[in-house]
Amino acid sequence: MTKYPTRMGDGHVIDMTADELKADLIAGSADAADRGRIPPLKDDEIDFLLDLFKSNARVVGVDSGNEVVLTHDIGTLRLDGDQGNSGVGIPLSRLQGVQVHERAFAADTMELGHVDYSWKPVKPIIAQEQQALENILLSTIVPIFYGAMPNLGTYYAPDGPFGNPSDLLPMGKIKEAREAQELAVEHATRDIVYICGKLAEVGADGVNFDTTGAAGDADFKASLQAVEQLKAKHPNLAIQVGMAGEFVLGIHGELEYDGTRLAGLYPHHQVGLVEKAGGDIFGPVVNTNTSKSMAWNLARAVTFVKAVTAVANIPVHVNMGMGVGGSPVFETPPIDSVSRASVAMVEIARVDGL
Amino acid sequence: MTEQELLEAAAKAVVSADEDEAKAIATEAVKLGLDPLKVINEGFTPGMRDVGDLFERGTMFLPEVILASEAMVAAVAILEASLPEDQREKKAGTAVIGTIEGDVHDIGKGIVATLMRVYGFDVVDLGRDVPLDTFVEKVKETGAAIVGTSALMTTTMVGQKALEKMLKEAGIRDQVKTMVGGAVVTQYWADKIGADAYAENAQEAVQKALELVQG
Repeated sequence: MTKYPTRMGDGHVIDMTADELKADLIAGSADAADRGRIPPLKDDEIDFLLDLFKSNARVVGVDSGNEVVLTHDIGTLRLDGDQGNSGVGIPLSRLQGVQVHERAFAADTMELGHVDYSWKPVKPIIAQEQQALENILLSTIVPIFYGAMPNLGTYYAPDGPFGNPSDLLPMGKIKEAREAQELAVEHATRDIVYICGKLAEVGADGVNFDTTGAAGDADFKASLQAVEQLKAKHPNLAIQVGMAGEFVLGIHGELEYDGTRLAGLYPHHQVGLVEKAGGDIFGPVVNTNTSKSMAWNLARAVTFVKAVTAVANIPVHVNMGMGVGGSPVFETPPIDSVSRASVAMVEIARVDGL
Repeated sequence: MTEQELLEAAAKAVVSADEDEAKAIATEAVKLGLDPLKVINEGFTPGMRDVGDLFERGTMFLPEVILASEAMVAAVAILEASLPEDQREKKAGTAVIGTIEGDVHDIGKGIVATLMRVYGFDVVDLGRDVPLDTFVEKVKETGAAIVGTSALMTTTMVGQKALEKMLKEAGIRDQVKTMVGGAVVTQYWADKIGADAYAENAQEAVQKALELVQG
């Protein structure tokens, strides 16, 4: 029986028959449907994915006319960083990095980010970041975002002023852990609004809340609050909210935004809150399981994201790359996988951008 | 209350993280003269398994898992106290656990540590960003049966391989079972580096840890 080369979620190459591929596609979609309580993919969509995996082409693409916006987070660091942060080790300044993405890679938007890539450490160097952003804005045409992670972890000990829930919870100090998170939410909100306001002053086209929810429901709440306050102060500043994972971890467990409990929300519920807060673009994330095949992972990811586009009233730019969106967990995800995952997200999930 | 009703109530008390109720049920079981080990294994333990499943599905959250585990521990203490000394369940052993140096992701590792405590392990949680030397020293110091390492990044998972070598060089690799986990880690990786076990989630980690120590 013919076998087709594909990959596991950790990137290593395997061969699967058409029947094996189809079984994994159905199982992956069913897993998403079960967890998210959303519809699984239809038969013709499973067949479309199967054809993608059976194709001999190393690189696949969408049909002409179906192209979508292609944007990059942290791209300035991806060129000069080494493999340790998914970079390729080319010594370029951040300005040059943006220009390369715009002029050589045809990125539709680009982003400036600091090497720490969290909002908190940007605050004391905001003047330098304003200057760097202004220089980039003056020498490029594509919309320029400034991006960073809300990363509430930077507000907890040993990096920040509040107790660390990861230390407090195992000691049974649940009240203290929750109080620490509530304080961090307010502190982070204030910092983010201050920083983004300064970036708006020098003409930033937008800001990107990247990897939102990485530190759990408190992280997501701080982000939503900051988005709401920013939108009220700077209505013309585009705000993208990208997630850290497919569901919001309940490290606090009882935090709410607009009357909705944040812990445990899946992407199709996250997007509504981002819209409500004033976000302009939503970036859903679906995690890759390294122990499952790419067929399983991609069908699962597409099922989740399709449910997002079905309810979203704002553009959906799905996170695609290392370990998310059906791509393997690999520093530089292989093109055979990335292109297949990208086609699936556009043609089935109907995303607006990657 | 029949025995079956009591077993079901025990599981429910754990899932609802109700420590007072769990203790009351354990006390009632002792008063009724029920087999304490049966109440633990067929009442409270299935409840904790449900907690693990609910957490894994994202419908139960970390503080509730902690409270549920505290309820279970409190109930088991009452039941075990009613057993003669020689019938009390022995501790499963000592497990040293931590996140490899350079990696600060420790939410998953913390959950594994919590569940292992519930299932009778003495857990030495070294936290996050732990130097490899520290794992080796702690295994020597405690005589641990298991050393578990977590890595969420491809750049830190190589530390799991290095630890295997360091344990051999220290002459203690045969005395301790190694377990690896973390989002980037797979069974394939565990086999490749010679780890004794890989687990995809906390519930599986506990089951595999028990299998390792029980042979």
